[in-house]
Amino acid sequence: MRVTVYSVLKDHFDSSFNLDEQFSSVEELKNRLEQIKPQSAAILNACRFAVNDEFVKLDFKIKEDDTISILPPASGG
Amino acid sequence: MIPSPSYPQPVEDNFEYISDRCLDIVGLLANSHDPKAGALVLFSGDVRDNNIGKDVAYLEYEAHTSLASKMIKEILEEAIVKWSLKLAVAQHRVGKVGVGESAVLVITSSPHRKEAYQANRHIIDRIKHEVPIWKCEVFTDGTKQWGNNCNCSTITGKADKHIYESSSTEKA
Repeated sequence: MRVTVYSVLKDHFDSSFNLDEQFSSVEELKNRLEQIKPQSAAILNACRFAVNDEFVKLDFKIKEDDTISILPPASGG
Repeated sequence: MIPSPSYPQPVEDNFEYISDRCLDIVGLLANSHDPKAGALVLFSGDVRDNNIGKDVAYLEYEAHTSLASKMIKEILEEAIVKWSLKLAVAQHRVGKVGVGESAVLVITSSPHRKEAYQANRHIIDRIKHEVPIWKCEVFTDGTKQWGNNCNCSTITGKADKHIYESSSTEKA
């Protein structure tokens, strides 16, 4: 699966990266990312997640070739 | 969203809701007049030269462009229905935006001013809180800071539940 992150999350992760591991849900992915970078936990907890231009909930079932976008709180305007 | 046929239609199918170029405020405004609209409101979110007591050199915006474009379009369509607008347009910059430049633009028009004002404020509130666009402030001292002007989740407990400034004015 491919993961794309934005904004302040780029201080913790590459803007786009592949994960060889397979996760059954967005929540599992989020938990793994928190393990990899514990200091990202607070911001990850405030993030929304999207797949194919649709917001998904934490129980969304990830497919192998999905690209998951992780979206910190907006700060446009 | 359908102005009089004799007037140009600014919101085309390929309209760039997210743009990496300077926003054409004058051009968009010129195309937004409608003979059935007695009120036209334009909001421009400009880059200030200071924030949190520091001098701002410029802002750098990024967006999830496809999702942000889709959301802005939906927000505009909802506002047109809710306030019976003649027109609603919004465009947001990405990339480097200098002090004094427009980072975001919202234009609304309606037969009378109340609806155009209310809808305009509602639209900019929703863009700021909901649409996946982020600003990074770059200060003249070389430091930078990602904006966090939406921290509603600390109050509402949910990343998709927001508190809008315009709520109080809409109820008034």
